[in-house]
Parts: sequence; C-alpha cells; structure tokens
Amino acid sequence: MNKLVIGGLFILMVLAQWYVPGNMISQEEKVLTEGTMYKFKTEPIDPSDPFRGKYIVLNYEVNSFRSDTAICKYYDKLYVSIGVDSLGFAKATRIGLSEPEIGDFVIADCSGFYNGKQSFSLPFDTYYMNEDKALLAEEAVREVQRDSLPSVCFGVVYVLGDRAVLDDVQIDGVSIKDYVEKP
Amino acid sequence: MNSRIDKDLRELREAHVISDEVSQRITDYYQAKKSGGPRKLFAIFGVLGSLLIGLGIILILAHNWDNFSRFTKTIWAFAPLVIGQLAVGFSLLKNKSRAWKEASATFLYVGIGASISLVSQIYNIPGDMPEFLMTWILLGALLVYLLRSYTAVLLHLIMATVYACNLGYFNEINPWWYLAMIAWIIPFYLRMLREQPEGNATSILNWAIPLSLAITFGAFVSEATNIVFLMYVGLFGLLYNLGKLEVFNSGKLRRNGYAIIGSLGMIYVFMLVTFEFAWAEFNPSEHLTKDIVITVGIFGMACLVLLYLASKKKLLPFNLFQYAFLIFGVIFVAQYWDFQLAVVLSNLLVFGLGIFAIRIGNLRNNFGVLNYGLLIITILVACRFFDTNIDFIVRGLLFVAIGVGFFLANYMMYRKQQKLKSKDHE
Repeated sequence: MNKLVIGGLFILMVLAQWYVPGNMISQEEKVLTEGTMYKFKTEPIDPSDPFRGKYIVLNYEVNSFRSDTAICKYYDKLYVSIGVDSLGFAKATRIGLSEPEIGDFVIADCSGFYNGKQSFSLPFDTYYMNEDKALLAEEAVREVQRDSLPSVCFGVVYVLGDRAVLDDVQIDGVSIKDYVEKP
Repeated sequence: MNSRIDKDLRELREAHVISDEVSQRITDYYQAKKSGGPRKLFAIFGVLGSLLIGLGIILILAHNWDNFSRFTKTIWAFAPLVIGQLAVGFSLLKNKSRAWKEASATFLYVGIGASISLVSQIYNIPGDMPEFLMTWILLGALLVYLLRSYTAVLLHLIMATVYACNLGYFNEINPWWYLAMIAWIIPFYLRMLREQPEGNATSILNWAIPLSLAITFGAFVSEATNIVFLMYVGLFGLLYNLGKLEVFNSGKLRRNGYAIIGSLGMIYVFMLVTFEFAWAEFNPSEHLTKDIVITVGIFGMACLVLLYLASKKKLLPFNLFQYAFLIFGVIFVAQYWDFQLAVVLSNLLVFGLGIFAIRIGNLRNNFGVLNYGLLIITILVACRFFDTNIDFIVRGLLFVAIGVGFFLANYMMYRKQQKLKSKDHE
C-alpha cells in the first residue's frame, strides 16, 4: 500500500478511536452540566461485567403507568414524561409513543401490560462501583429497608433532551460509595 | 548450527556422498532457518506480552478506583489508547519488524477496549455487551490492513465470534453484522493463502475461521424444528468440501481445519439423527422461512464448491464424505413419507461413512483415518444400545466383534506397512 494511503488511514483510525470515547464523554458531560436533576427511588442488586467491572443494577419504582389498554409492544421505545411528587422524587406523568412537546422525558424500554398498568424499564439502570463495594452496597440497601424508619435509596439522574445520565446513587442523601464505608 | 548436523555433514563429505557445494548449501539452509527462529519467537512473546499487559490494564481499570476524580479517571481511560496508537504509529513510520507490528497492534486492540470500557464505567453508560463489542471491533478493524497483522486478524475473528454468540444465542436477534465482520478479513486471508499457504499464521486461521463459523452458526438458527440438523449438515458439508480445495488439501491434514471440522461436525450431527427423537419429536410443517432460506443458501454454496472441484477434476477418487450432505438432504425429505425410514437411512449413512473411512485409511496406509472409521462404527453401535431392545448377550457379542475388528484392522495395516517397507529395502 502507498505510504500516503497508510498514513491517511492511520490518522483516520486514530481520530475514530478518539472520537468514539470523546463523543461519549462530551454527550454525558453536557447532560450533567445542563440537564435537570431528578431523584428516582430505587433498589440495587449487584452483578459483574468482564470488561467494565462490578456494577449495581437499579430497579426503579417508576416502572409502570396506568393505562386502559396496552400502549406498546415489548422492546418498543416508550416516551415517559417526568415530574416531581410531593416528596421531591421523580414520577411518571404521561407515557406515549411520540416525544412530548413540553417538559422533561426519558426514553424507556416497553415491557408487558398487566392489570391496567403499562410496564416499562428505565434505561439508566447500571451504576458501576468499586469491586469491593458493590456487594456491600446491595447489603446496605437491604439493611436500611429492614429498619423501622426505612431510609430511601434513589438514583440521581440528569435529564436533557432525549438523554439521561445517572450521576450517583444515594441513601438518605449520602452517596452509596461513601455510605458503605460508614463504620 | 547443531554440532550433530555438522558432524554428519563432515562424515558425508569424507565418504564422498555429498559434494562440498551441497554441504555448504545444507549449512546455509540451517543457518537461515536458525536465524528465523528467534525472530519468530520474539514476535510470539511480543504478542503474548502485549495481550497480557493490555488485559491486565482492563482488569485493573475494572476495579473502579472511585477515590479518583472523574477527570483523572478519564485521563487513565485514554492512556492505553494513546500508548497503543504511538506504538502503532512508530511501527508504521519506521517500518519496524514483524514482532513490533504484531505486538503494537495487539496492545492497541486491547487499548481500544480498555478505553471505551472505562468511559462507560465513569459515566454509567448502560449499553449492552453486543453494542460494546461492536464498537470495539469497528474501531480495531483497520489494524488488520494497516499493519497486516495476523494477531489483529485473529483478535478481530475472536471478538466477532463473541459478538455473534452474545447477540444471537438465547434470543431471537440474528447477528447479521457478524457476516460483514468475516467478509472484512477475507481479502487479507486470501492473500495469506496465496503468499504463504504453509505458514503457521495461515494454518491457525485455517482452523479459526471454520471453528468460528461452526460456533456462531447456531445464532442464526431458530431451532424450532429438525431442519436445524439439515442446516448444520449443510454447513459442515460446505466446510468439508472447502477443505478439499487444492489450497487446503495439498498441505498436511493437521493444517486443514476445514476438512477436519467439517468431517467431525457431520459425523456428530449424523450420530444425533440416528436416534428416533431427532425425527419423531418435530413437526416438519413448522419450518420457518428464514431457516429454509439459510438452508437453501448454504446447500447452494456447498454445491458450488462441489461443481468447482468437479471442473478442476478434483472429485476423484470418489469420497463419500463430500456427498454426505446431499444424501442427508434426500433422507430429510424422506421423513415426509415415514420418519422411521429417515432413521434407518441415517443409520445406514453413518455406517457407510465409517466403512468408507476405513477404506480410505487402508488405501492410504493411514492409521489415523482407519481408526476414525472404526470409531464411527463403534459409536454408532454404542448409540443403538440406548434406543433398541437388543439382548445383553447380543450387545456383548457385538462389542467383542468390534473390538476384534479394531485389533485385526490395525494388525493387518501394520503387516501391510511392514511388507511395503521390506519391498522398498529389496
């Protein structure tokens, strides 16, 4: 191959290899700095990924919406409008197959329809943690939920346009990373 | 050079068996061979070193150092990528040795994975595994041609296989992009076959490509009906016939992964279809259109390879294994009349292949092929013990008979070889 072509292709490859992670970072940073913050009540469990390490999967309380009929099929994109309840936690205010004209929304994966409720799963359900802390985090949440005065575990999510970024998971306002280190 | 060879050469020269010139050429040959050795070793250890360091970095980063700030972690995310890019750039610019190129390509390939893993980790990007693997494969694909790196081809193939399995198994999505990933390396592979058909790297790919195809094929199959057997037989028939192409068949059998995987795969599937359940528990009217299209496509390709071999007059001497997929096609159709007929014919086919392998082994004086044939018949008989009500005495006698057959066939082959040797001496 011509040296010029090799050089050109090499630069193209290097740029692509920079662009993909760089673009991921810039999109996420934009949502974190410009987006609106919501607190989604949740419950974590801890699995593992061979490349990205340990993480906790978050089961959000916002996972269904009242409806007379099924709105979508499995794996359809579902637009879930987001509002805030009296305690300051996120709640679904409307669901539909098209983007709402006003207000913040997140794009969820549609699941089943049962008992007058259309179920869905929110996409930001993965929170990567230090490998020594992931299991402790799951146990900590189970522990606080058994207490007589149950604590609240929630995901701090920033929403901007059609993107949502999970920034932190907190128990009673303390980051779960620090909470598990408490004596 | 080896002092033993040196000593032998001196002895041969003194005995006037070889001339001084021939002796010098032999010495030169061994010298050249010897000097190639360490370079090859250096390349292998370079690749292994890069792979281990790269994978180690991924694991260290996967620990998730949450006491570092997001910015520090982001710098770490790019570090392996930049080091890999610099090493590859240096290899290209200075046109460094093969060892350099292979090692730097390996490190960059793993560095790409480390980088996107860590960014996903820092920002809790949930993207599923196939999507992640696809990004990784695409970003590393150019390395194959830029550095003409064998390791990059192998890594690309491994990653593509993992991607297809991840996406296609246990759900209904077909990993069609896998085919594009394979197509991407074909020009490079063809060039390797042309330039160094006996090379070690080519031999590794001669095994890796059919293995990858055999592993991922299930990701395209719905497994709803017994057409799955026909599909797999088509694939293994295609691989076997590819293995009979001049480029693969003229070398050593151990370098011909196509023929070996094709043959073993066919025998495995044929063994399964000798059982009644393979035919009785499926409703042949429930075949999916997609499965039928894939079957027709793969049988079409296998027939094209057969026609090509025929045009090159490479179909002689007759080899039953090459046509076994077509015969099975007829057996598959026979199930529409009576599935018992299909069971009987399948048993006959396996028996015929076993006998045929014994015959080939005998003609070629090859113990390996002879015993392969005997093994096929032994497994067939053993399988029949599970679903037939034959008396224990008869079963026992059958096993004894096969054992005696094993012994006799090998003994006769041994005698034949001894005779040939003594004839050669005369």
